[in-house]
Amino acid sequence: MITVRDLTKLYGDFTAVRSISFHVGAGEILGMVGPNGAGKTTTLRCLGGIISPSSGSIAIAGHDMRDDAIAAKRALAFIPDEPHLFEYLSVEEHLRFIARLYGVADVETRMPKLLDELELSEKKRALPGELSRGMRQKLAIACGLLHEPSVLILDEPLTGLDPGGIRRMRETIAARAARGAAVILSSHLLNLVEELCTKLLVVRRGEYVAYGTIDEIIATHPELAGQSLEDVFLALTSDAKGGTAV
Amino acid sequence: MNAFLYLIFTSGRNRLMTALRRVRSPRYAAALIVGGLYIWSFLLRPNSGATGISSLLGQPTEMIITVLLVVTLMGSWVFGSDTTALAFTQAELSLLFPAPLSRRALIGYKLTRAQIAVIINVLIWVFILRRGGTVLPAAMRAIAIWVLFSTLNLHRLGAALVRSAWREHGAAGSRRNRWSIVVFAAVALSLIASLIGARVELGAVHSTGEFFTVLGRVLSLPPASIGLYPFHLIVAPAFAQTPAGWERAILPATAMVIVHAVWVFRTDTAFEDAAIEASAERARRLDAIRARRSVGAIAPPRSAASTLRLASVGHPALAIFWKNMLCLRRTAQLRVFVGPVTMAIAIGAATSGAGMDLGAVLAIGALVLTGMLLLFGGRLIRNDLRHDMQHLPLIKSLPIPPGEIVIAEVASSALPMALVQMVFVAFAYVALLASHSNPFGGNVRLAMLLASPFALLAVNTAILTIQNATAVLFPAWVRLGPVVSVGVEALGQNLLATVATIFSLAIGLVVPMLAGWLVVTFTVSSQTRATQFGVLIVTASVVLAIETYGAMRLLGRALSRAEPLQTA
Repeated sequence: MITVRDLTKLYGDFTAVRSISFHVGAGEILGMVGPNGAGKTTTLRCLGGIISPSSGSIAIAGHDMRDDAIAAKRALAFIPDEPHLFEYLSVEEHLRFIARLYGVADVETRMPKLLDELELSEKKRALPGELSRGMRQKLAIACGLLHEPSVLILDEPLTGLDPGGIRRMRETIAARAARGAAVILSSHLLNLVEELCTKLLVVRRGEYVAYGTIDEIIATHPELAGQSLEDVFLALTSDAKGGTAV
Repeated sequence: MNAFLYLIFTSGRNRLMTALRRVRSPRYAAALIVGGLYIWSFLLRPNSGATGISSLLGQPTEMIITVLLVVTLMGSWVFGSDTTALAFTQAELSLLFPAPLSRRALIGYKLTRAQIAVIINVLIWVFILRRGGTVLPAAMRAIAIWVLFSTLNLHRLGAALVRSAWREHGAAGSRRNRWSIVVFAAVALSLIASLIGARVELGAVHSTGEFFTVLGRVLSLPPASIGLYPFHLIVAPAFAQTPAGWERAILPATAMVIVHAVWVFRTDTAFEDAAIEASAERARRLDAIRARRSVGAIAPPRSAASTLRLASVGHPALAIFWKNMLCLRRTAQLRVFVGPVTMAIAIGAATSGAGMDLGAVLAIGALVLTGMLLLFGGRLIRNDLRHDMQHLPLIKSLPIPPGEIVIAEVASSALPMALVQMVFVAFAYVALLASHSNPFGGNVRLAMLLASPFALLAVNTAILTIQNATAVLFPAWVRLGPVVSVGVEALGQNLLATVATIFSLAIGLVVPMLAGWLVVTFTVSSQTRATQFGVLIVTASVVLAIETYGAMRLLGRALSRAEPLQTA
C-alpha cells in the first residue's frame, strides 16, 4: 500500500531526510519514531503530498505521488499533529467539505457514526474557535477518516486528547488496520507504538537507523535483547559522541 | 535595553534578515529588482517638475480630508471599533500576558510597535508629496504626517479599549456608547447645517474643481468649522504650505497627540478600576478581554447556524468555492466598504454641484463605486489563497489538481466582487434612463451594459489572480491571512500595492486591447459606434480571460511546488 524508495529531502545544503526506504502493506501499522528534528514530519509530509521529495519515489495504493498525485491523495488521509481547520466552517461543514472533495456519496450515513465515534455529535454546529484543543484534533481525525482511506498517515495524532480520547483513538487505529488500511504512526508515546505497531522505523538526523519488526531489530542489535522499547529507542538514537539526541 | 525594545528590535532585524535570505532564490531576487525599480520610479526618481500632487495640498482637500477623518473615527465609535488596534500575536499572548507586566506596559508596547507601520507610511507619503515640489521641507512634512498618523493610531487604540471596557459592562456600556454617537451627531449636524446654508452657492458651480473649492470654503466657515475644529487641528500641519504655517499648526497638533496618549493610558486605568470593583470577576474579565484580543486581527466568524448546501458528489473544486463563500458570509465586514462608498458619494455630490440632474448624479456615483471596487475590491475581500496559504498543508493534501485549486480560490473573490459591480452598473444604466443627460447615446449605453459582465468578470479575475500570485510566489514577503489593513496610517502601503497591481494589469491588457482593436477593425468597422464598442470590450475581455486562465494554470504549478516552510 505504501512503498517508499530512497526518499531524500534537501533544504538547500541541509539534508532533512536521506535515502529512506520502507514498505507498509495492507493491515500493517508502521511506527515511526525518532528524536525531535529527526525528519519524521518531513517524511510524512512527503508521503502526504504536501512537500515534494528532492529524490526518490513514493507510491500510495499503487499510485506514484509524483506522476499521479491526485489518485494517491484520494487514497490517503494525512492527520497532522497540529489540526489545520478552517475557522469559519462548523464541524459538520468540515465533513461535508471533505465529502465533496473525496466524493463520499453516503456522507449522510457515515457522518453521524463518525461524529459519535469521536464524541463530536453535540458539537456538530460549533466552529473550530468554540472547540477545545482535543476536540479540534478529533475533528481533524474525523476529516481524515470520513472517506475511509486505504492509507492512514498519522503524525502525533494523540496530541491534546484526554485519556478516554486516547483509548478510543487507539481502538480506531487498530480497527482501521484490521479492515485493511496501511497505517503509519509517528509518535513519541512509545507504549502506544509498542502496543499498536507491527513494525518500526527508527530515524535519526534524517536517516533510518533501524527498520523492521521489534524482533527483527533486536536480531540485528543483539546487545539490546531484553530491554524495553524505550531503552531500545534511546540506544538506537543516541549520539555517537555520547548522550542521546532526544 | 528595555525588554520590549529588545523584542521589537530583534524581531525586526530577524524578519529583515529572513526576508533578505530569500533573495538567494532567483524568484525572490527578480522580485526584489522589480520592486526596487518600482519604488524608485514611484517614490525616489528625481523630480521632473511640479506635478499635480502639490495641488492636493490646498484648502479644499484639507477640509475634505478632515471630513473623511471624522467619518473614519466615527466608524470606530458608532459601527464598532477596529479591533486590529488591540490585536496581539499568539506569541505575545503566551509570553507577555502571563509575565509580571501591567496592562499599561502592554499598551505602551502595542503603541511602540505600531510606530513601525506609522513611520514606514510617513516615509512613503513624504516621498509621494515631495514629488509635488512643495516648499515645505521634508522633515517638517514628515513630522506633520507622523502627528496625523500617530493621533489616528492612538484614537483607534483608545476607541477599542473603551469599547472593550463597555462590552464588559453590558447594557451600561451600550448606554455610554450613546455619548460618542451624540458627539459625532453634533459634528454631522454642523456639516449638514453648513451645506444647507450654502446649497445655492454649491448648486451654481460649473465644474468639479470649482465645486471642491466652494465646498472647502464652506467647510472652513462656521458652523462646520466649529464641529470640525478638533479634527482639523490634527490635519492642519500636514497641509501647511509654508514653514511659518507649519509652525503655527504643529503645536496644537502635537498637543492633540499628547492628549490622545494621556487618554489612552487613562482609559486603561479606568478600566482597571472598574475591574477591581468586581474583584471576584476581575480575572475572568481580563481573560475575556484578552481572549478577544487574540482574535482581534479578524472578525470572529459569526454563528454557523445557517449554512449553504453542498452536494456530496460533483466537481471537488466547487467545495473550495463553497467553503470560501461560507467564509465571506460569516466574516464580511461592511466597514471595509466605507472608504469606497464615501468616495463615490463625494464624487457624485461634486457632479451634482456641476449642474447635473439626480439620475446622472446617481449613475456617476454608482459607476465611481464600481471603479473603486474594481481597483480596491481585492484588498477588501481576501477569501482566496491570500487567506488559505495559511492552511497550505491542508490545501496541498487535498485530492484536487493545484490549477483547479487556484481557479476556485480566485473565483471565490472575483465572482462576488464582479456580481456587486454588475449590480451597480445596472443601477447606473437605469439611473441614466431617468436622466436628461445623455453623454454617450442610448445605443452605446446599452452596449456598455451588455458588455460590462464580460469586462467586470475578466478584469476582476485578472486583478485577483495578480494578488493571489503574490501570495503563492512570495509567501514569505506577503502578509497572509484575512487581515484587512483599514487604518489610515497603512494607506501608503496600500497605495503602493494598488498601483503595482494596476501596473501589472495594464501590462496584461496590452494584448487583449490589441486583439479587440484588430477584431473591430477587420470585422465591424462599418457598424455603429455601439457595436464597435461592444465588440471591442467583449473581445478584449475574452482574450484577457484566456490570458488569466493561463496565468492561473501556471500559478497552480507554483502552488504545487510551494512548501509550508516558505510561508513561515
